[in-house]
Amino acid sequence: MWRNTVTGWSFILPNFVGFAVLTLLPVAVLFYVAFTSWNVFGVAEWTGTANFRRMWGDASFWTALRNTVYYTAFHIPLTLAASLGLALLLNRKLRGVRFFRTVAFFPYVTSIVAIAIVWNQLFSPEYGPVNALLRAVGVDDPPGWTTSSTWSMPAVIIVGTWRYMGYYMLLFLAGLQTIPAQLYEAAQTDGASAWQRFVHVTIPGLRHTTFFVTVLLTIESFKVFDLILLMTGGGPGQSTLVLSQYIYQKGFEENQFGYASAVSIVLFAICFGITVIQFMVNKRGNS
Amino acid sequence: MKRAIPAVISAAAALTLVLAGCGGGDEPVDPDAPVTITLAGWSLASTPEFKTLADGFKATHPNVTVELKEYAPGNDYDTQMITDLAAGTAPDVYVMKNLRNFYTYQSGGQLLDVSDATSGLGSGPALASFQVDGKAYAVPYRQDSWVLFYNKDLFAKAKVAPPDGSWTWDDYTDATKRLHTGLKAAGSNATGAYQHTFQSTVQGFALAQTPGADLLSGDFGYLKPYYERSLDLQAAGAQPTFGTAKTNKLTYQAQFGKQQSAMLPMGTWYVATLLNQRKSGDADTFQWGIAPAPQFDKSTTGTSATPVTFGDPTGLGINPKISKSKVAAAKAFLQYAAGPDAGKALAGIGITPAQVTDAVTATLFGLDGVPQDELSKFAYAKHTIKPENPVSKHTAGLQNLLNETHSAILSDSKGVDAALSEAQTRAKNEVLNQ
Repeated sequence: MWRNTVTGWSFILPNFVGFAVLTLLPVAVLFYVAFTSWNVFGVAEWTGTANFRRMWGDASFWTALRNTVYYTAFHIPLTLAASLGLALLLNRKLRGVRFFRTVAFFPYVTSIVAIAIVWNQLFSPEYGPVNALLRAVGVDDPPGWTTSSTWSMPAVIIVGTWRYMGYYMLLFLAGLQTIPAQLYEAAQTDGASAWQRFVHVTIPGLRHTTFFVTVLLTIESFKVFDLILLMTGGGPGQSTLVLSQYIYQKGFEENQFGYASAVSIVLFAICFGITVIQFMVNKRGNS
Repeated sequence: MKRAIPAVISAAAALTLVLAGCGGGDEPVDPDAPVTITLAGWSLASTPEFKTLADGFKATHPNVTVELKEYAPGNDYDTQMITDLAAGTAPDVYVMKNLRNFYTYQSGGQLLDVSDATSGLGSGPALASFQVDGKAYAVPYRQDSWVLFYNKDLFAKAKVAPPDGSWTWDDYTDATKRLHTGLKAAGSNATGAYQHTFQSTVQGFALAQTPGADLLSGDFGYLKPYYERSLDLQAAGAQPTFGTAKTNKLTYQAQFGKQQSAMLPMGTWYVATLLNQRKSGDADTFQWGIAPAPQFDKSTTGTSATPVTFGDPTGLGINPKISKSKVAAAKAFLQYAAGPDAGKALAGIGITPAQVTDAVTATLFGLDGVPQDELSKFAYAKHTIKPENPVSKHTAGLQNLLNETHSAILSDSKGVDAALSEAQTRAKNEVLNQ
């Protein structure tokens, strides 16, 4: 018995130690640092809830929060629709379907730096092909995209959706394979149209996949960082400043690690809260 | 229980400090014993200054080897250095690229007092920038300043008189527009000027030249005329717009080196870069020159006056965790790096040292490809340099905020007045009250 326990522990220990040192401990320290004033050097000075009170009156924090919600609110439905659409399209027995699936997945494995550079050039207001196309179809005053505070967030959302839709398409494809073909056959026998089959067979059949995808998308959207940092740097002005970037700015550029940790906790609380709500809603749906 | 967590953290921190302290030791100091000190640098393959300093010092101190440790270039340098200092793994001697993070390093106890290494270095403003309460915590070894690079061939093509040292910013704006028109008439696509997307290209000059301007006051009205001129030039097409420069990732090196723009306000480090660009074929061969940066008003123009410009000194400091037996060698290295011999060696590779003497100017202008006219020598050697990042705990926060303001104004997302007013409110509520 003892021998078994030791053997068991010895298998999980390397992973557990790694997790404890690289994840658990930093997270615990983060929760402590959030209640201190700490510039990385020297001892952190305990300041209680001062960082959280400061957030309340910090207009930049609210701007970053608003922008994060803006990104999330559009990124989630757009990515859901695009990835589900792609999955439905590429779930058929078409010639070269594997090729098209690979193409759809490609943006997800492409370097984010390359994506940012190429899309920035595509969006260039004066010389970019996107605006050239818009002008060709009669749009006299096309948007300034990443150089306009109004259009910078839509531009980032478009690129974010384009980047991630291939990945979620794969999850939906896997989900579609689990729906029994007999259900479609039965529906067809009953005279259900394609739309009716989609609404009454496909959507319910994908319930668990959709829930899983939505949870992942929510967390990924709230944490968005690299794409925005590389495409717009949070600008123009603060038009695309999101919470992750604000944390980076306060922590690594201004050395206010206490305040940055406090904002991290708020971001964590938001992600956690929304995920809990999603689970509750899903549970109610299941029952 | 409430106090348990802070107590545990404090105990862990104390233990770390004790363990870290063990590395220091109390070894006896022998001035002639072989010593190796480590020095931080970035992009070592393309930045020869660190090797030049290390080799130059070795020539006069054969027992001391300066070993280079490579760090990330750009803004990531400070992030990486701060992390290494906090972890106790930073090199013995490290560079402060500018003044922006000097406060963090010094107030965080990450710099040794090096006052005794400053004898013979004079008392210039570059040295004063690294002094706190009468003690020096770093020495300057480079001091770039912003000047105006211009393409003589494109000026001739546009039939516009080149700068003569008497320009204010209004003269510069006027010349840029005339260049634009003239170049267009001559069939060239080059723009009159190229102001890179850095906030420095507008804000650095405004802060240095405007009487009474003070970054730390949180009053940013002094930026207004400088932004209005930049917007005017953008609107006239006389310089690429901020949006074009950003979305197409324009580089100032290509804009000037490939003759896409007739003028380029930039730091003196560009002299070395341009020479290298020409060697590698990344730049065309053309006649170029250096003029003083355009001035706020006529009072500081002309070769009999002293033009005002900006630039942060680049300093060297000593990591307090250095072994005691190496401190003397490290201080001697600092003294060498900030002194006249290193200055000449740096000028020999196109780098501007902290003390620009006649010998330094002669060395730099002796390099192949550097212009020989008197105005270029004057612009390089004579000016008052004010810091872009006055040392304060608020500097990093204010500069971040002003960087956002910069992009909002130049992208035409916000009017100048509205953007500056918002910046002032934010400075008061988010930075200066901390």
